[in-house]
Amino acid sequence: MTGYLIVSALLISIGATGVMIRRNFMIVLMSLEIMINGAGLFLITMSYYLGNVSGQVMFIFIAAVAASETAIGLAIAVMMYKRKKSIDINDFSILRK
Amino acid sequence: MEGIMFYIISIITVGGALGVLLSRNPYRAAMWMIFSFFGIAGLFVMLHAQFNAMLQIIVYAGAIAVMIVLVMMVMDKRTLESIKRFNPQAFWPALIGIALLADLSFLAYKFKINVGNAGKHLTINGSNTQMIGEILFKHYLLPFEVTAIILLVALIGAVVLTKKDIS
Repeated sequence: MTGYLIVSALLISIGATGVMIRRNFMIVLMSLEIMINGAGLFLITMSYYLGNVSGQVMFIFIAAVAASETAIGLAIAVMMYKRKKSIDINDFSILRK
Repeated sequence: MEGIMFYIISIITVGGALGVLLSRNPYRAAMWMIFSFFGIAGLFVMLHAQFNAMLQIIVYAGAIAVMIVLVMMVMDKRTLESIKRFNPQAFWPALIGIALLADLSFLAYKFKINVGNAGKHLTINGSNTQMIGEILFKHYLLPFEVTAIILLVALIGAVVLTKKDIS
């Protein structure tokens, strides 16, 4: 069990690091997906070791929410690309004075 | 045997995630992400969650990866690849990530539960999908409906955000 939990911890921390240090907005979105998958792996592991299938049902909800989050993120990326011709996150500052 | 399979699949998964984190080319990063998703699907099969493994391949490696690659396809290749890899102040966030890893690994190492039920109650008549259906539609019907509304709202939001002009 510890092995699965450590893989899950690795996925979450790699995803969080990717969100914080990368500059390309597309790769930030991909890192978010990696993080969500780490959480899903934790749920499935607990579902197996506790003998309760509710964790697997939760994963279905997580997948749906991840899909809608990616759709919104890509819509924001396309909008900012149309406006700025760039997807560098350091250029995404239209709300700043 | 199962231990060796676990190590191979987890190396695939974590290696794919590291590929996303470190690769310079975003197209290549998308391919690493799909690689990692397939590794996670393998881990799900090892945890007797066959339905979720297939869902992982269809939703993540199919739909989400295709969405991301499609949006990258319509963008200009030079602006996409000319971006520098890391932020100028990437040192401290990387340190925070390593601290997060240490914290979560410590928790995973110390985590103790009663594993007497491991691998039981996951199937009805040998079918994992039937068990998920039973639980989903008997106990989680309202969250299921709310998820449907979330998907609808996300669809409308994506259309509104990418309209021709936002005034």
